[in-house]
Amino acid sequence: MPRPETALRIASIAEIVTLAILLTNLFTIHARPISSSMGMIHGCTYLLVICCVLLIERTPIRIKALAWIPIVGGILAVRALARARDDAA
Amino acid sequence: MTKVLLSIHVLAAILAIGPVTVAASMFPRYAAQAFAAPADLAIRSVVQTLHRICRVYSVLGIFVPAFGLMTAISLGVLTDTWLIVSIILTAVAAVLLVASLLPAQRAILASLDDDVADPSDGMPATISRLRMVTGLFSLLWAIVTILMIARPGSTTGA
Repeated sequence: MPRPETALRIASIAEIVTLAILLTNLFTIHARPISSSMGMIHGCTYLLVICCVLLIERTPIRIKALAWIPIVGGILAVRALARARDDAA
Repeated sequence: MTKVLLSIHVLAAILAIGPVTVAASMFPRYAAQAFAAPADLAIRSVVQTLHRICRVYSVLGIFVPAFGLMTAISLGVLTDTWLIVSIILTAVAAVLLVASLLPAQRAILASLDDDVADPSDGMPATISRLRMVTGLFSLLWAIVTILMIARPGSTTGA
């Protein structure tokens, strides 16, 4: 099992990429299979970002709250965690 | 699509809720042993591992209700009585887990780490309360699982 920090980075990128695919699909061919499968995967990445942030130990409550923001929550949490680590070092 | 959602829902339930139920039910017994033998670091690390399993797999358990809701919506059964009862029981179990079971485990671990703690300072009372909460938690999951299979009043097949 990868470390939650690594999983968070992957999930936060996937959260944005899947939304981009969804929107591109919506404004172009609007194929139903793409909507339903990508919609599900996008929802999963949203949950995964929250899971990963909760699994990283001793995360400040402020960063935990960031993860709940749709679309950009993962990226914001990755940045905030990096900044918190820099401050600590 | 419904089949995919339902498969992920069941798989997540087996892989996430199963370990939490087993590890949580083992925790009180090993915690009591660790209190009886404070110098035994092997038992203490067993207790720590059991707590870690409970904590990590509880978080992953979010996927069970998420995919459960998606399955229910795609089947159109979200307003069925058996499902609403299951959702309420699941919510009770989740609150029990987050607000009582995990904090009690954390408290027991913390007092194990306090070297000053002596076995007579009331920790066995916490352990027996945790035993009760854990039993209740397992019972709730058993009821929800049976509801998911029996689906009383459902018309979508056996």
